[in-house]
Amino acid sequence: MTKGYLCLVLHGHLPFVRHPEHENFLEEDWLYEAITETYVPLLSVFEGLVNDGIDFRITMTLSPTLISMLADPLLEERYLKHINRLIELSQKEMERTKWHHDFRSLAQMYFDRFSHARDIFLKYNCNLVYAFKKFQDLGKLEIITCGATHGFFPLMDVCRESVRAQVKVAADHYESVLGRRPKGIWLPECGFCPGHDEILKEAGISYFFTDSHGILHGTPRPKYGVFAPVYCKGTGVAAFGRDLESSKQVWSSIEGYPGDYNYREFYRDVGFDLEFDYIKPYIHPDGVRINTGIKYYRITGSNNHKEPYVPEWARERAAEHAGNFMFNRQKQADYLNNLMGKPPIIVSPYDAELFGHWWYEGPIWLDFLFRKVACDQQSIRMITPSEYLEQNPRNQVITPSFSSWGYKGYAEMWLQGTNDWIYRHLHVASARMTELVKSFPHSGGLQLRALNQALRELLLAQSSDWGFILGTGTHTSYAVRRTKDHLLRFNRLYEDIKSNHIDEPWLSDIEYKDNLFPNINYQHHQ
Amino acid sequence: MKRIFKKSKEALSKVISKVNSKLKLKKKLKPAKAVTADAQKDAFGFQETAIANTKFSHAQNVSPDRSMPQELLSSYDVDKIVLQVRDPHWLHAYWEVRNQTTERLRVNLGDRFHGARRVLRVYDVTSIIFNGSNANRFFDIVINDFASSWYINTDGPGRSWCVDLGLMLTDGSFITIIRSNVVQTPLDGPSWITDEEWMIPDDLFARLYGMGFGLGKSSPVGGAWQERIKQGLFSSGISSSPVKKEIKERNFWLKVDCELIVYGATEPDASVTVQGVPVKLRQDGTFTLRYYLPDGKQVIPVKATSADKLENRTVTPIVIRETK
Repeated sequence: MTKGYLCLVLHGHLPFVRHPEHENFLEEDWLYEAITETYVPLLSVFEGLVNDGIDFRITMTLSPTLISMLADPLLEERYLKHINRLIELSQKEMERTKWHHDFRSLAQMYFDRFSHARDIFLKYNCNLVYAFKKFQDLGKLEIITCGATHGFFPLMDVCRESVRAQVKVAADHYESVLGRRPKGIWLPECGFCPGHDEILKEAGISYFFTDSHGILHGTPRPKYGVFAPVYCKGTGVAAFGRDLESSKQVWSSIEGYPGDYNYREFYRDVGFDLEFDYIKPYIHPDGVRINTGIKYYRITGSNNHKEPYVPEWARERAAEHAGNFMFNRQKQADYLNNLMGKPPIIVSPYDAELFGHWWYEGPIWLDFLFRKVACDQQSIRMITPSEYLEQNPRNQVITPSFSSWGYKGYAEMWLQGTNDWIYRHLHVASARMTELVKSFPHSGGLQLRALNQALRELLLAQSSDWGFILGTGTHTSYAVRRTKDHLLRFNRLYEDIKSNHIDEPWLSDIEYKDNLFPNINYQHHQ
Repeated sequence: MKRIFKKSKEALSKVISKVNSKLKLKKKLKPAKAVTADAQKDAFGFQETAIANTKFSHAQNVSPDRSMPQELLSSYDVDKIVLQVRDPHWLHAYWEVRNQTTERLRVNLGDRFHGARRVLRVYDVTSIIFNGSNANRFFDIVINDFASSWYINTDGPGRSWCVDLGLMLTDGSFITIIRSNVVQTPLDGPSWITDEEWMIPDDLFARLYGMGFGLGKSSPVGGAWQERIKQGLFSSGISSSPVKKEIKERNFWLKVDCELIVYGATEPDASVTVQGVPVKLRQDGTFTLRYYLPDGKQVIPVKATSADKLENRTVTPIVIRETK
C-alpha cells in the first residue's frame, strides 16, 4: 500500500558559456565536464532502467541555456575534441601506471567511461537534448523549464516585464525543442516572490517549486506543511515545497552521503597532481593547471593522506546509501501519513550537476535507489508533480512566501556587498527594454533583429550565475565581464534602435556570439 | 529522533575552511567556541553554496587578455531610488540623484540647506495606501553624502515598506528628494492566519513544521519559532545518517611521487619491446617511456631486434624505489 510519494527533482542548469572567438575557453569546460560526468551517466542510468523494465519517475530541469548549449553545433564539435583528448590522456595513463595495479585499473576505468561518453554522445547525433526527450516521451522523465537565462526573479520584481520575458522566452524555447508546452518550471535558485505565479499562469505553466519556508511561511498556514502542494491564491498555479531532510542527506558534505570515505576524492586530480611537462597538453594552454576529470583517490579520511579509489567499494557504499535513503523516506512517509491522514509527497530537489561531477557515485546511487524503490518495497512510490496533481486535484489555496534555496533562504547570496552594484544597471536595462517594446510594437527587418538581440543580451546579463560567482568573491573576473559585456551590448543596441542607426556588421557579430533562442520574440518583455 | 548534526562548530569550521581554501574562497570564518545549532545550519548552507560552486571550476591566474572595451555608465541621469527585499529583516536601497536636483534644492532652501543632513526615512506602510503622511510609523537613518546604496534593518518581517531619500534640516523638518517603490518583507515564521476549511491543530502543524528544518541563525526560521523548536516542541528530522566520521585538522602538507623515464635509440627500422610490450619508435629510432614508479624493484628488459630479425640486443635496467 502506498504510504507516500517521492518526487525526485534534478535541476540541470549551466549558464550560457560559448565563446566562438576563442579557440580554447576555460569556462566552456563547465559544459564538457557536466556532459561527461553528469548528463551521460544519468542517461545511462535511465537507459539501463528502461532496458531492465524498471518503472521509475524523475523530474528534471533542462534550463533553456543548457538546452541551447547542448544543441549548439560549435559546442558539440568542441566537446568531441575535448572528450577525444581525455581518451588520449587516459590511454597514456594506462601506459604510465602499468607498475601500479590500482592506478592502472583506474586509468582503464576512465578510458572506458570516456569512450562510453563519446559513444553515447555520438549515438544521439551529438545532441543530448534528444536523449532526454526520449525518456520524457516514455513517461519516465518529466522535463521542466526554468527562467530563460536563470535570472533570479525576486531581484527583478521591480521590473516584472523581465520576469515575464524570462518565463515566456523559456516556455517558447521549450516548446520549439521538446514539442509541447512545459507543465512545470524550476524558478531559478528556487526564488519566488508572491505575484510571479500570475506570470507563470500566463505562460500556461501549472506548477513550480519553492524551498520549505516558501510554503511553510505562506498565508494562511499550510495544513500539510511541505508534504502536499498548494495552489497560489488568485492563479491556481501549484507550488511544491522542498523537503529539507532528504536534501541534507545528499547535500551536506559532512554528514551527507558524498562525504563517505570510500567515495572518490574530488580535489585530487591528475591535472594538479602530475608532473608539469607531462600534463601540459591537457591543461589550459597558458599552463594553468585545471581539473581533467581523472582522479585516482578516495576521500580516505579527514586529513591529506589519500588512498587509491576502489570502485567496487564505492559501489557498495552507494548501494547502502540508496538503501538508507529509501529506508528514511519510508519511515518519513509512514510518520507523515499518520500525522496527515493521507499520503505525503516528499519533494527532494538537487542540482543535477552534483550527481557525477561533485559526487562521482551520485548516478549509481540514483540507479540503486530507483531499483530498490521499484523492487524492494511498496510503501513509497515515485511520482512526478503533474502526475500527483492529476491524482490529487484538491489542494489548499495559500499565498506562498518570498523565498529561495540560496544561502540563508532569501536574496542575500545575490544581494550583498560584492554583487549589489549590478542591479542599478540591470534595472535600467529592463526599463529600457520595456520602453523599446512600447515604442516599436511592430517591427521588421534589421530593426526586428536588433530588438530581438537586445532582449537576448538583457536576458544573458540577468543570469543569476554571475551574481552567485560575484557573491562567492573569488575568480570574479569572468562574471564581471559577462555582466558588463551583455549590458554594454544591450545599451548600444538601445541607442542604435532609438536613433534608427543600427550597425549591421556589429549586430551580425553579436548575433553570432550570443546565438541562443533563435526564435526569440522581443515582445515578451512587457 | 536523532539530531543530524553532531559535530562541534570548531570541527565544522575547519572542514569548511578546507572546502573554503580548496575553492579559494576568501571569506574567513570566525573562530568558534561552542556547539550551536546556528553554526550547523550556517555550515549546511555554506556547504550547499560551496558545493554548488564546484560547478564553476576556475583556473587560477588566467592571463587577463579579455579586457573590457569600455565601462558601464556610473549614472543614468535620473532621480530614482529603488528598494528591494533581502530577507525578512533587511532591505536594500540604491539611488541616484542628479546634480541639478541637488542644486535646485540648494537654491530653493537658501540658508536652510547648510547643515542639512541626508537621511533615509523608512516608512512602515503595511495595509495602507501610502500618501506620504499616513505611515504606520517611520524611522530615519542618517547617511553620508557619498553613499548611493544602503542596507536597512527594519526588524519588521511580514510588513510593507517605503523609503524616502531626503534632507533633514537643522530645524528638524524633512524634505523628500525621491521616494522608492513599496516592498513587502516575508514572514520569518509561519503565518498566524489559518484557514477554516484547512484547519490543523497547532501541535500537529508544529510537528510538520519542525521536520527537516536544521535550525540556526541563517535558517529562514525566525527566533520565536526556533525557541519553540529548541524546547523540544517540534521534531527536527527523523532520519538517521549512516555516515560517521572523525574530523581532524588538515595541516601543512607535502606530496612526493616518482616517475621513471626509460629512453633509448636504435635503428629506425628495428623493433623494440620493453618488458615484452612492443614500443613505437620515433622516425629517428628513438623512444621514450614514462612510468609511475611504485616502491619496490622493477626489472625492465628492453629488447631490440633488427629489421631482418638476425640481430638482438637486450639491455635491462633494474630500478629500486624505496620511500622512507
